[in-house]
Amino acid sequence: MKKSATQNAVSKEDIFRDAEKVFSVSLVNLLRGKGHDFLEQGYAGTTLNDSDGNRYLDCCTSNGTFNLGRRNAAIVARFKEAIYETDQGNFIMPSQEKTLLARKISGFVPGNLDCVLYGVTRGESIEAACKLARGFTGRPDLVTVDGGCYGESGFALSLSERKGKEQFGMLIPSVKVIPWGDAETAAQAIGQKTAAVVMEPIQAEHHCRTADKSYYAQIRALCDKTGAKLIFDETQSGFGRTGTKFFFEQIGVTPDILIIGEAVTSGMFPVTAMVFTPELKSFFDIHPLIHLCTFGGHDLGCLVAMEALDEYNRLNPWDNAKQIGDILIKGISSQAAKNSDKVISVAGRGLLISIKLADNNMALKFCAAARNAGLLVDTGSVDTSTVLIRPSLLICRYEADKILDIVAKTLLAI
Amino acid sequence: MSDTINVTMDNKERDDIQKLFGKHISWGQVRYLRCANMDVYERTRKGSTFTDAVSGERFFDCFSSAGCFNVGRGNTEIMDTLRDALNDHDMGSHGILSQAKVSFAIKLASLCPGDLNKVVLCASGADACAGAIKLAKGATGRNDVITMKKAYHGHEGFSLSANGKDYYKELFLPLMPGFHIVDFNDLEEVKRLAGKNIAAIVLEPVQGEGGIHVATMEYMKGLRKICDENGIMLIFDEVQTGFGRTGTLWAMEQYGVMPDIMFTAKAIGGGVYPNGAVVYREIKSLTEYVEANPLFHTSHGGGTDLGCIVSSAVLDYLVENKVWENAAKVGKRFKDGLNEIRRDNSDLVKEVRGMGLMIGIEYQYEFVGALMADCLARKGVWAVFSANAPQVMRFQIPITASMAEVEELLRRIKAAVRIMRVYLIFLKPLAVIPFIRRILDNVHVQIIAFNLIRDVEEFVGRLFPKKQEVKS
Repeated sequence: MKKSATQNAVSKEDIFRDAEKVFSVSLVNLLRGKGHDFLEQGYAGTTLNDSDGNRYLDCCTSNGTFNLGRRNAAIVARFKEAIYETDQGNFIMPSQEKTLLARKISGFVPGNLDCVLYGVTRGESIEAACKLARGFTGRPDLVTVDGGCYGESGFALSLSERKGKEQFGMLIPSVKVIPWGDAETAAQAIGQKTAAVVMEPIQAEHHCRTADKSYYAQIRALCDKTGAKLIFDETQSGFGRTGTKFFFEQIGVTPDILIIGEAVTSGMFPVTAMVFTPELKSFFDIHPLIHLCTFGGHDLGCLVAMEALDEYNRLNPWDNAKQIGDILIKGISSQAAKNSDKVISVAGRGLLISIKLADNNMALKFCAAARNAGLLVDTGSVDTSTVLIRPSLLICRYEADKILDIVAKTLLAI
Repeated sequence: MSDTINVTMDNKERDDIQKLFGKHISWGQVRYLRCANMDVYERTRKGSTFTDAVSGERFFDCFSSAGCFNVGRGNTEIMDTLRDALNDHDMGSHGILSQAKVSFAIKLASLCPGDLNKVVLCASGADACAGAIKLAKGATGRNDVITMKKAYHGHEGFSLSANGKDYYKELFLPLMPGFHIVDFNDLEEVKRLAGKNIAAIVLEPVQGEGGIHVATMEYMKGLRKICDENGIMLIFDEVQTGFGRTGTLWAMEQYGVMPDIMFTAKAIGGGVYPNGAVVYREIKSLTEYVEANPLFHTSHGGGTDLGCIVSSAVLDYLVENKVWENAAKVGKRFKDGLNEIRRDNSDLVKEVRGMGLMIGIEYQYEFVGALMADCLARKGVWAVFSANAPQVMRFQIPITASMAEVEELLRRIKAAVRIMRVYLIFLKPLAVIPFIRRILDNVHVQIIAFNLIRDVEEFVGRLFPKKQEVKS
């Protein structure tokens, strides 16, 4: 019944052929379309290399994951030690690793978000959050805003604005999608049946859309009035990306549940979590082990995340993100003004920056041309006419200038 | 308290950790596990065992995180591979290809039977389950899915909808419409439901969480026929049964029945790094769909560079050592040994069942689950009763276990049974009374009662402390 494996595939062409064979031809073509048809091979700090020896400034950072740079030295060193101290552990058991990381996260996240449930993907943490809200309130409705992107699992997909999701038939019922920024509709939609309002306070994949502070305050007030829980997904905007530890600090509204993503390990280990209030934890006290995740709270992952959080606290990268981000946004905006036929607008906060181009095709061309000039960027997944600039939060002024230079050249080239 | 993980913990440190876990994660979980003496803090993880940080006692790991440790715990080959990979890798960029990702996918496909040649990399069993169901729904254009009673596929939206136990679902309703839950091993019910609205039939060849129920040959062959006749995708969940656990690399090999889609996770990560995968047949209906929708299921934390390097090393280790052959050989002795225990204790043990080293024993009474976990823990055996069936205890030791270890484990289980028999002297007459039986079976009553016993024990233990030593 066994087949023979392809042995020692070494050349890039061979590996691409294998990728076509084992994944799909169209996946590889998709990568070709935006100039991402290379093999990642080696990365450090703010850059990555391909198998041909070319070096790129990494402005994808795996959707804002490598906040402390690629292979941050302190995290790698701790990771290597930790391999010999622990393993994933039996997932149903309490462990010192899970506990100490939870305490550290509780200290790191502002406000009374003191409790933690771990996941392994962003989507799984969204699932947990929706379930906690439903379980705690005993209500069915989940209200979300349009333009969201939460992941590929069941609840996450049901909440997301995702092309083609109708292919998967009937998803999670009782999900209401309301237009972004429309407080009146929100007031009608959020009621006594609402378990939670779910949103990314800044929609990275949707041209970094934000709203006035008053909108967030109104949503918070509606939740408080009706007893609905407010869930913020800060997978992309968290851990300093927007110039503060979390974006919600800038809008002055604290959620009841916060989703944090793989940036918690700066991309060294798939750890995600939902962080929530002590009030909500009572649900898990009454119903222990009702939501399980084998790889969630992986003991080794916890030790890696603990070191990463120490690095975050030591480096305060949000300060650099704010400072360099302001320079980049200003610089890119002025280039946009010079290329108004190609650029519709520039948006973002800190080092989460979105350039909206005339159409999808132009966004793909931008990615390909930028890569040729040594900059790795990707398009937004909800608004596919946008290109996102998401470098390491530790980039220096020189590298910021290089980004501006390449963006300028790329805008001329496309 | 510092962030350092020491090899041992004293009682005060343990209490502090418990309090913190209770404060930040779940106090209920601590009490739940404490009631069956299962609140052990794992240290020095080696082969089939780990030590308890507080007592220094070495425990047999009979849970293996639900079948994750198929290369053994603390496998230095896998650990060294991960350490070396850290010299030049991290998770890698989501959506960008690398040699690590592609070569792992190719290797995995090469080890799957028949034309299971195509791969989608995922992050966990639940994530892979979602991917598999999405693939079936997308490719067939149908909505409904048939799954099994007591089935366990995960806790995200798709997998939760497919789960066969209400406890995990009822507080989170409404879930996805169109999931039909049928009796396991009952073809008639599937025949009645099978039609042009059904996208997939999903099942575990051996139900793990459900209480170690093994699918019959007739059932598997019957499902394949029904799927072929109705254009339904047959999906096998090999999350727990995969990677040698049942005595062959995949459980499906023992049936000679090919699914259209298979998904797996757990042991793929070698106990050190998460990963998962959907593997599907290279048939027109599936490949056409994926070619038209290459991003139908993407996973950020799955198929990472580090994960794929580790998983490749896991596959190499399993193949080089033919670990599944050990699972079959040692598993047979273990099952025979458990059957001997059953024959001697037929008033306690009802049935022993399973394949390879995925074995369950069903007790005569539901309340025995927690009590027996307690007795086993006192004899250095860490075993878990099934979440979906508390009267069933699962034995899923790392499949690298030696024959000598299994003999030692059987001796310890026999010793635990002897303690259990003392409890039964009091409990058996009570269990005859239906009202008392209901109280005994009630999990809340068990938690309160056993926590009280633990409190008293610990109080006495602290009055007369034992000297702690770490046993190797």
